[in-house]
Amino acid sequence: MAHRQTPIDDTYFAGERAGSFTVVGSPVARSDARGHVTGRTEFFEDVRPAGLLHLKMHRSARHHARLVTVDTAAARAVPGVVAVLTHQDIPNNLYTPLKLIGVTPDDEPVLAVDKVRYLGEPIVAVVAETEAAALAGAAAVTVDYDDLPAVFDVEEALAEGAPLVNEYQGNNYFTYEGHHCRRVRFGDVDKAFAAADHVFEWRYQSSPIEQAPVETTGCVVVPQPDGRLRIHSDTQACFFTLDNTALILESEFNKLRIVGGTVGGGFGGKVDVVVEPVACVAAMVTHRPVKFVYGRYEEMQVSSPRAAERIYLKDGVSADGRILARQVRAYIDAGAYSRHTPYGTTKAAAHFPGPYAIPNVSIDCHCVFTNRTPSSAMRGFGVTIGDFALESQMDRIARALDLDPLRLRLINAYRDGDMKAHRKLAEGTALVEVIQKAADLVGHDLPEPYRSMSSTDRKGR
Amino acid sequence: MLSHVHLPGSAAEAADLLRNGGWLVGGGTVVMPRVNTGAVPVDSLVSLRRAGLDDITVDGRRASIGAAATLADVGEHDALAFLLPVIRSIASPPVRNLATVGGNLVVGQPYGDLAVALLALDARVEVLGADGVREVGVAELTVGGAEVLTAVHLDVPDSGTWFYRKAMRRRHNSAAIVTVAAVVAVGDGVVRQARIALGGLAPRPVRAPAAERVLLGQPFDRPTVEAAASAARQGVTPLDDAYASAWYRDRVLPVHVRRALLGED
Amino acid sequence: MPSRIVTLTVNDADHELIATPGLTLLAALRDALGLTAAKRGCAQGTCGSCVVLLDERAVPACLVPVETVDGAAVRTLEGVAAGGELDEVQSAFLDGFATQCGFCTSGMIMAAEALLADNPSPSRQDVVEAISGNVCRCTGYEPIVAAVLDAARRRAGRTA
Repeated sequence: MAHRQTPIDDTYFAGERAGSFTVVGSPVARSDARGHVTGRTEFFEDVRPAGLLHLKMHRSARHHARLVTVDTAAARAVPGVVAVLTHQDIPNNLYTPLKLIGVTPDDEPVLAVDKVRYLGEPIVAVVAETEAAALAGAAAVTVDYDDLPAVFDVEEALAEGAPLVNEYQGNNYFTYEGHHCRRVRFGDVDKAFAAADHVFEWRYQSSPIEQAPVETTGCVVVPQPDGRLRIHSDTQACFFTLDNTALILESEFNKLRIVGGTVGGGFGGKVDVVVEPVACVAAMVTHRPVKFVYGRYEEMQVSSPRAAERIYLKDGVSADGRILARQVRAYIDAGAYSRHTPYGTTKAAAHFPGPYAIPNVSIDCHCVFTNRTPSSAMRGFGVTIGDFALESQMDRIARALDLDPLRLRLINAYRDGDMKAHRKLAEGTALVEVIQKAADLVGHDLPEPYRSMSSTDRKGR
Repeated sequence: MLSHVHLPGSAAEAADLLRNGGWLVGGGTVVMPRVNTGAVPVDSLVSLRRAGLDDITVDGRRASIGAAATLADVGEHDALAFLLPVIRSIASPPVRNLATVGGNLVVGQPYGDLAVALLALDARVEVLGADGVREVGVAELTVGGAEVLTAVHLDVPDSGTWFYRKAMRRRHNSAAIVTVAAVVAVGDGVVRQARIALGGLAPRPVRAPAAERVLLGQPFDRPTVEAAASAARQGVTPLDDAYASAWYRDRVLPVHVRRALLGED
Repeated sequence: MPSRIVTLTVNDADHELIATPGLTLLAALRDALGLTAAKRGCAQGTCGSCVVLLDERAVPACLVPVETVDGAAVRTLEGVAAGGELDEVQSAFLDGFATQCGFCTSGMIMAAEALLADNPSPSRQDVVEAISGNVCRCTGYEPIVAAVLDAARRRAGRTA
């Protein structure tokens, strides 16, 4: 069936391409689709080992509080409850998923120790014969809190006197090689602003965005006769999960086996290694298979969303629309713990000038800790919200200068060989051609100088 | 935790069982999410699935709908075709195959659009309790822990007198921003009867008496309807929730009253 | 806890199972009978991943206490087509790229089967309404709507 059969437009880059490119734009049957339409694709929760136990979490009812007492006696007394786990049961209770690529410090307890830093933070895991018993057990845990002031806004978190969110970090910001933010410096923005005909500064911000996969985050851990643990998981990152879980369990990597690869929607929301470690401990303690899967409420409340961001963009622009300087201050809300947001913030810093050749750039990207749900990966994290801000900025500049927004972009578009602000040479660029094609598709008038621009040379710059 | 799911054969038997506690279950669309996802504070469910409360009878203009009739049952009944737009504005087809008329009457706004329609229709609700059967209007309806809502009685409105509109975030399967249901009858060129009910604004469906007064005795034309639509805001303090802010609901309420009564898209 | 024996006719075969109080039809199908095509996405009737046919009507199986439907006939995705053949809806989904992660697919197909049984030549709007209780986070729905319309045409072509 000819579905979405889109031929390649080979009028662009004619001299650069060899071969016929028959795959791109042609339909290729999915290898898993037959399993999907017959219901035979096996997702992790379709694994139903005999003797399966269910794990449910007692979670923080506070945004920020000290734990005075945590009483699990009533939970243990619920009929069907088999085990109750606290931080003392986790071999290495402190982690950060990005330690594997050298991001430190470890800043997040697997189960809360003396303090909770966001609403829904896991405190006690209850393992029971049935899901209902596990839910009843988790509800029967009682926690006395000593409330602490909470901070939910990135700039308030950085202000003098703000409550300290994460003691392991020591500040309400992530420290990048001794610096309070991730910085990019290129040229001299102050001089360029002084010389510019116009300076525009606007603010942009976004809320957290939940990936909302239809299959919630979860795993089934099955102890093997040889002492290994087989982990059926919907993680998006099998090996990453295996390594992190082993570090938390203080186990040899080869004692764990991950069975995965079938993910009922991830969109970045299933890379945080949050359910597997506790489920593994529960399986080790009980010597039985254990399932830990988020309910829909948990998926919405505690699974890490795309970070909220606040972005200030200041541009110095010449009268004819050339962007001479761009200064960016971005505040990216990590929530209470690092997860993947220090990395996303670095991506943002590298991305921020956008696909434009700007000779003077200064970027400060702050990864900020607040008492909100930890944020993490989601489709182009660190980049997507920045692009919303950048392209909104371009449109507003065009409007302010009464310029055509496409021509403004073409004048400033990066070309092959341009040095980007973070010292990467631009290559394989195609923004010019994409804009030209888009203009054609919507019937937007582009005069000749703009028509003859090319990503491969400097004409019209 | 649950230790019993009862399947009483009659409303009286259900009411008896409820005297020992437990939750009444109609279609399960409200109760089962709680059972599935949290610690349940009761040890039994009392299901109405076998209680014989799903009959729908229409005799001339008089209609009686059993409380356990599903929304789909109502939507498929030929003599109740005027309610089909109401039914189709609620949830999705699979949920409508379970959700019951009785459940829709007791669920809080911004859900319960059929309840808004039944209020506009001046329907009477039959409730069975320890002291026998009582009949109440939709606006005054409260159901005690050991009571069973058994049936709804209503008059099918005359052709051309029924108006309904539900504003929501999406075309299908979304809760009410504002729901408007009305019976407006015209005689000798002027409005003789007007009952306007609103949903999405307060925990229970409410009437719009000020708007009704504006209509009564006046020609049923655009200027009168616009005046009535403005008057509908009187005494209303809308809900603030994830579907819409109170500010937004207040602002668009007259628009949707007008569109409902003029049949505008 | 007095469990009950419940009888269901699932995909034309009679089954008996032991139902603990409050066990849902979804859990009965998946855990007792091993029919895992229907998925648990929300357990509150809002995602549609667990839609099956209960006495020929599409319902979210997570909302039905199985004890209340003793004796009912249930059809799941496993029972849609016999002998390894795909039916028109399945093959239209397969050919039309109407699946990505596959998690919503079972519920989507069952909602579509209910629609087509009732309305063999639905409009686009009919299809949109029929799947309005089924969440898909991958496709953006367009290929699914197209596949259901395509399935209707295929079925009409076969019976013509």
